[in-house]
Amino acid sequence: MATIIINGEEYPIPEGEKLNAIQMAKRVGVEIPYYCWHPSLSVVANCRMCEVEVGSKDPKTGEIKMMPKLVPGCQTPAKDGTVLVTDSDKVKEHHRMIMELLLINHPLDCPVCDQAGECGLQDYSYQHGQANHRFVEERTVNPRKDVSSLIQLNADRCIMCTRCVRFTREITGTAELQVMRRGSHAEIATFPGVTLDDNPLAGNVVDLCPVGALLDKDFLHKQRVWFLSKHDSVCAGCAGGCNISVEENKGKIWRVKPRHNPHVNDYWICDGTRYGYKAESAPDDLIPGMFALDKDGEHVATPIDQALRKVDRGLKDAVVDGKVVAGILSPFLTVEEAYLMARYLKEVTNAAVLAIGPVPFKGEDRTYAPDKTKGRSGDTTFLDPKPFTLYAEKAPNARGVRAVLEHVQGSVVEYDDLLKKVEAGEVGALYVAGGYIEGWIDEATAAKVREKVGFVVVQDTKVSALAHKADVVLAAATYAEKAGSYVNVDNRLQYAGASLPPRDGSLPGLDLFAILLDRPGPARSGEVLAELAAKAPAFAAAAGGVIPEFGVVLGAGAPKAEPPAFVDAWFAPMGAAKSR
Amino acid sequence: MRLDDPKLKKIEPPKLSLADRFYLPQVAAGLKVTGEHILGVIFKDQAFTVQYPEEQHVPSPVYRGVHRLNKDEEGRPKCVACMLCATACPAHCIDIVGATAPESWPDREKYPESFVIDELRCIYCGMCEEACPVEAIELTGLYDLTGLSREEMIFDKTKLLSVFDVTRDAEPMKFTTPPPAGTGPTQALESPVS
Repeated sequence: MATIIINGEEYPIPEGEKLNAIQMAKRVGVEIPYYCWHPSLSVVANCRMCEVEVGSKDPKTGEIKMMPKLVPGCQTPAKDGTVLVTDSDKVKEHHRMIMELLLINHPLDCPVCDQAGECGLQDYSYQHGQANHRFVEERTVNPRKDVSSLIQLNADRCIMCTRCVRFTREITGTAELQVMRRGSHAEIATFPGVTLDDNPLAGNVVDLCPVGALLDKDFLHKQRVWFLSKHDSVCAGCAGGCNISVEENKGKIWRVKPRHNPHVNDYWICDGTRYGYKAESAPDDLIPGMFALDKDGEHVATPIDQALRKVDRGLKDAVVDGKVVAGILSPFLTVEEAYLMARYLKEVTNAAVLAIGPVPFKGEDRTYAPDKTKGRSGDTTFLDPKPFTLYAEKAPNARGVRAVLEHVQGSVVEYDDLLKKVEAGEVGALYVAGGYIEGWIDEATAAKVREKVGFVVVQDTKVSALAHKADVVLAAATYAEKAGSYVNVDNRLQYAGASLPPRDGSLPGLDLFAILLDRPGPARSGEVLAELAAKAPAFAAAAGGVIPEFGVVLGAGAPKAEPPAFVDAWFAPMGAAKSR
Repeated sequence: MRLDDPKLKKIEPPKLSLADRFYLPQVAAGLKVTGEHILGVIFKDQAFTVQYPEEQHVPSPVYRGVHRLNKDEEGRPKCVACMLCATACPAHCIDIVGATAPESWPDREKYPESFVIDELRCIYCGMCEEACPVEAIELTGLYDLTGLSREEMIFDKTKLLSVFDVTRDAEPMKFTTPPPAGTGPTQALESPVS
């Protein structure tokens, strides 16, 4: 078995992976500091922070020969017999020197810098640097500038790691950014007349920046990062299901950051995800509470229990009248919500018709497929390039809802087919569960539905044309307010936690259906998923209601054990935040 | 922290002397101190109390009273909205809304759009003053903080800056400019509240 010696101890090297010294050391709990290295970008080794003592052990004699000079860890492959020394005085003195050189022109403006608290310079300066500053000349001051309408560059904070430049060249292939001039005059800049505005992945350069040079103007100066609570979630913007971390404080979402998932979004998210939270946190057009029609045909605010009783009675009256009860399950529902809704309507009458809501499509799929060598500038040996796709299907869970309907009903009724049934006047009561981010029903269709259907329930987050005409309007939770799982375009079931409590007057769909079903106790998505997994073979992979970190592909058997998600050292929670 | 933590220092209470164990001599010693104070007030005019409000109490220079927001030479708030005071505050009584500084302030990137301290929630510990990297927030010697409603006791930026105007002469900024010669401790000042 291949082994590596790190700081005098021998460790086995995991098979089937190509790791460099930084990754290998991290696996065994030894930290090698770095700035410019990123697992999905080519190795350029220009920050010199990760230099360690490297040697090799002769397999025959067992003699260890060290290289005379320090070697960048990012460029050193972890192979059999490699010897790494990361804690010698020579290495420590080198780290101290590099920190001092990197900080020569760095302004001391941590109090106003948005990166403070998750900054590589702060962390490593504290761990490896020194307290005094020997440089007495005047520091270079570069003015702030914009590289796009949403990203600001504070050039004097930059340490020239070129992660952002490599991202635009290697991942998106658009190459808007460059290094201008040389030596101590070097500066990150866009090419003349070019901005990052047209790059839908531009926001990622902010996440890549290890210091506070590239900043998100949307978040600029709004919050300090240590105030934010991070919640693991999944983007509901398209069928891709990118893993995100929703960061909230005082009941408000302030920013959205990507979470590493090698099977879905790698390390990136698109700007639609990054700024999409605004649509969900605009309280003006969200349904503020439960409403029901009174005798004069006016919507009046109704307590939750009364509204739900009206729903139950309305649906059951339609059954007594011998009319069809139908349900529309939008592709924005979680798997658990769809399951409970389908079960409830089937409990009202077994003849209930369950249809999937319209699946919104916008534009075309757009894939960024970085090549292992094309466009890359440095060492690409350790790369495992993964494509990133922005899907045209703008709903997170169409496959999940279909799978649930297939299990409960045996087949999926399409939205258009249900509309035909409505037009024919067959449907007596209709329960619509929405949750769409954008408007989904036009005025004419809504009027037609209202005219033909005796009893209409709309459970939605935003006011739609149909909500104005419905008999009962139920305020459901937005994606940020509900917990549940989604099935993405690759049939991968992923769990999204709730980031915010449900806003006043609303309840997550899961709780609404649990009350309608008379389920005892609070509805937990894990329990509902476990129930579904036990009954439906399609969801067998989610047995017990527990979904692994990277999700699980439905029908593909148990997932393999995988290394933990990559997080840059400065973004990893430290101190008290670790247990938060 | 665990009980067997090596960093824990164990301290034994001091042993009682014979007089301590008899109890009465210590009572007498206590009464002696009380008596000295009574006699001091009667015969030597050594009272610790003052005839407030006719007579104003002057607190010590390190007294921690109402906060003020310092202004720079151009009259702008010195605060850069770094929110370190809000982070340090154990009572969570400081609320700051930061914003990008106007273009006309070239020396600064960020400023507080709103700066609110709930003076009723505050415990006057002075941690905010300690945490501030630009000496923008300071606790003054104003102690007669009164108000007719809770809302009135929530100080906004204007009010906190006005406390600076009221106290700037009596209490110059502690760190930026040395106090002019001959300035005594805090003088009695008109409260900005009443």
